[in-house]
Amino acid sequence: MSDAKKLSFEEEALPHLDAVYRVALRLSGNEAHAQDLAQETMLKAYRSWSQYREGTNARAWLLTILRNTFINEYRRMRRAGPTVDVTEIEAFTVFHDVQDTDPEGTFFDQLVDEDVLRAIDTLPDEFRETLMLSDIEGLPYAEIASITEVPVGTVKSRLFRARQALQKQLYDYAIEMGYIQKPELAE
Amino acid sequence: MTDSPQAIDCQEALERLYDYLDGELTAVRTEEVREHLKSCAPCMALSSFESAFLRFLEARTRAQSAPEELKRRILQNTVFDARDR
Ligand SMILES: [Zn+2]
Repeated sequence: MSDAKKLSFEEEALPHLDAVYRVALRLSGNEAHAQDLAQETMLKAYRSWSQYREGTNARAWLLTILRNTFINEYRRMRRAGPTVDVTEIEAFTVFHDVQDTDPEGTFFDQLVDEDVLRAIDTLPDEFRETLMLSDIEGLPYAEIASITEVPVGTVKSRLFRARQALQKQLYDYAIEMGYIQKPELAE
Repeated sequence: MTDSPQAIDCQEALERLYDYLDGELTAVRTEEVREHLKSCAPCMALSSFESAFLRFLEARTRAQSAPEELKRRILQNTVFDARDR
């Protein structure tokens, strides 16, 4: 590989390693697999760097490689944890519950990173993946649609249900921990 | 130009809420949601709640970065790989 190509890999691809690693961590569910997965993704990207058109979207390109690698080689290794049912989700129920007592949702502030990550991990694969790409990595709908190979409408409905399910999950946990009272118990 | 902002109702505003908060709407559709929220306190309250939740989510999940050791290993196996010269 030419020095110029190497330099462009270093400048365009490597800065996305944190994003690749974070997504790998949520996909695989453990640090050792996430490191292997992230490394394999970057090495594959490096070997096929000549196919990448400079100035296009390196992040989306890398995340697509990551996703394919995960599906082909790692998905079967993912520990089967409990997943929440996202089909039963009703819109905006948490807000309706707390609008009189805590309309700004300040109870969320008592939850720590680990609580949130654990809750994200209980979402079914396709919902977790969509939420991660949108809400952790800040990707636009069109980019998520291209990475996950579904129409934008599907991205939107998955995102809606994933966010609402996660909110409900964290709300229930906050009640359990005594950070907020259930409305019928509050005066 | 027929595409000028129209008044929308609560249902329409809520259907578009996440698109609005995610910055996925066109300027005209954004303006319609913004106008509705300005004149409708319940929708505005919900919008603030959802927007705060999304900020909270980002704040609680972005802290993780790739371990230094992993970065070093990848650099050694890619751009600094001597065999590849
Ligand atoms: Zn309204």
